[in-house]
Amino acid sequence: MKTLLIGEYREGKLLESTYELLSFAAQLNADTAMLLVGSESQLPAYAGTLYLADIATCGEYNPDLHKKLILDAVQKENPDCIVFLHSSYGWDLAPRVAAALKAAQISEVIANLDGGFEVGCCNAKMRRTVKSTTARTVITIQAGAFPVLQPGGSPAVQKLTADSSGNLEFIGYEPAEKKDVDLAKAEVIVTAGRGIGKKDNVPVIQALARALGGELGASRPVVDAGWVEHSHQVGTTGQTVSPKLYIACGVSGAIQHLAGMKKSDFIIAINKDKDAPIGEVADVLVVADVMQFVPALTAKVAK
Amino acid sequence: MLVISCIKQVPDTTQVRIDPVTNTLIREGIPFIINPYDSHALEESLRLKDRYGMRTVALSMGPPNTVATLKKAYAIGVDEAILLSDRCFGGADTLATSKVLSAAIERLDKQEKVGIVFCGKQTIDGDTAQVGPGIASRLGFSQLTLVDRIESIDFLRKRIKVRRKLEGRHEIVEAPLPVMITVVRELNRPRYPTVPMRIESEEKEIKVWDNSVLKLDAETVGLKGSPTWVSKIFSPERDQGEIIGDGINDPAGTANLLIDKLLSKDLLAV
Repeated sequence: MKTLLIGEYREGKLLESTYELLSFAAQLNADTAMLLVGSESQLPAYAGTLYLADIATCGEYNPDLHKKLILDAVQKENPDCIVFLHSSYGWDLAPRVAAALKAAQISEVIANLDGGFEVGCCNAKMRRTVKSTTARTVITIQAGAFPVLQPGGSPAVQKLTADSSGNLEFIGYEPAEKKDVDLAKAEVIVTAGRGIGKKDNVPVIQALARALGGELGASRPVVDAGWVEHSHQVGTTGQTVSPKLYIACGVSGAIQHLAGMKKSDFIIAINKDKDAPIGEVADVLVVADVMQFVPALTAKVAK
Repeated sequence: MLVISCIKQVPDTTQVRIDPVTNTLIREGIPFIINPYDSHALEESLRLKDRYGMRTVALSMGPPNTVATLKKAYAIGVDEAILLSDRCFGGADTLATSKVLSAAIERLDKQEKVGIVFCGKQTIDGDTAQVGPGIASRLGFSQLTLVDRIESIDFLRKRIKVRRKLEGRHEIVEAPLPVMITVVRELNRPRYPTVPMRIESEEKEIKVWDNSVLKLDAETVGLKGSPTWVSKIFSPERDQGEIIGDGINDPAGTANLLIDKLLSKDLLAV
C-alpha cells in the first residue's frame, strides 16, 4: 500500500493537520510520499519524499495548477491512495483529482477498518464502511479524526513545477466578517441543541451560560432552524472550540459537532437519550429533560 | 439561458432513529425533506429568474416518491421540475449519480443553453460533497464550490464572479460560464411557498425521465456503475461518560450532584 499525502498551507503557514495525514498513513502501514504547495522555509518534520511546488508561483490555491502538480506526483509515485484533508482545499481539489484519475473518492474518513474506510452518515447516527473498487482511491480525512503525528526528520525534497492554465481567475481574499461572539476564547460554553424543542427556549440555555460566565453555543440544526445566529455555531461548519467547560444541552452529537468541541477540557451532556452520540465524548452525562433540568441547574449555580 | 438546480430528497436526519435490535436505520415514518443545502441552491436559481428572467429547472434523481419534493420546487416557483427515475439508477454512489444528472443536463442544454447549475455543498444523509464537482468535470463546466455570494454575472463576456467561504476568510474568484456552483447556507434565505402557489403546484406535471429517455449504458449507472460500495452500515459503539443522578425524576437533586462534581474539578470558579 502506498499513499500520496497532500499537505496544506493556509495563509502562508504549514497547517498542523498535515501531520494528521501522516498518522492516517501510519495506521495503514503504508509507504508515504507527500506533496505540498509551500515554501522551503517551512517544511514538515518528516523524513520521506516530499514533492514541493513553490507557493509564490503556484498560489495558495489554483485548482487546475494544483491538480496538475498532483497528477504529476501520482505518475511518479504510483500511489494506491491520494489523501487530502477534508478542508475547503481538499473539498474542492479532491473531486477534481478523482475525476482526472477516474478514481473513486471517499470523503471525510474517520477511521481505517479492515480494507475499508469508515465514514459517518445521517448526522453521525450511523457509520458506514465504504470500499473502493478502482485501482486508486482519493480520500479526504476529517479534521481531528486522526491524531497529529510528528515523526521528525527532514524530507527529501523533489521540486515540481507546472504551467499555469485553467479557467478560474483568482481575484483576492477577504477576511471573514467579524464574529460577534468569539467562542474560541470562551472558557465556558453552554450549547443549545435540537433537544431544547423550540426557539422560545433559547433564553433558558442563555441564562445558564450567563450564570456560569460563559457564552452561548449552538448546534447546526438549531442554527439551520433559525433559532440562534450562525456566529454561535460549534462544529466543523461553525467554530472549533476547546473551553475548560462545555455543556451540551439537548445536543445529539453529530460527527461535525463532536469534531468541533471534543477537545474541551470537561464535557457535560444533558440529554434525554442516554445513547445519544454526544455521550461518546462526554465526561458526565445527565439523563434528563433539558427544559426541566437546565433551569434547576441555573438556579443552583446562581446561588 | 437556463439555470438548473439539482436537489435531493433525503430523510430528515434529525428524526432518524436506530432499531436497537437490528442496528439499522428505522426509515418508517421518517419524513422526507429537500436536502437543506439544496434548498439554498433552489432559492438562488429563483433569484436569478427574478433578476434576469432566466428559466429555471429543478432536477432530482430518486425513487418515484421524489415527486413530492419536486412539487415543493414548483410551489416556490421553478418553471419546470424533472424527476430522473429508473430501476437501473438505484443504489448509485456519487459517481453514478453525477452521470445521470449530467446526462439530463446535456439533454436540456440541447434545447436551451445551460448557464449555471446549482447544487448544495453536500447532502445531510451522505455528506460526500462529490456530486456537484462530478457534474462539473463530466460536462467540462467551471467548478466553484462553497459559494456564499454571487458578486456579478457578465452575460456579454459570459463570466461569473463569486465569493467562496473558506476557513476564516473568503476568496473572490471569477470563472467562465457555463459553471457548476455548490452553495453554502449563508448564500440566501429560502422563500416559503404561498398558498395559491402550493395549490397550483398540485396540478403541475412532473416530467419523469427514465433510462429509455436518457439512454445510458445500464452497466455505468446505479449500483453497477458505482466504484464505491458500502460493505457495512452500523451504529457506532461508544464508551459512555459517567451518568450522574436521576435527571428525569429528580432534577434538583441531580443539579446538586453536578455542582459538587464541578466544584471538585474546580470548574465553577472559572
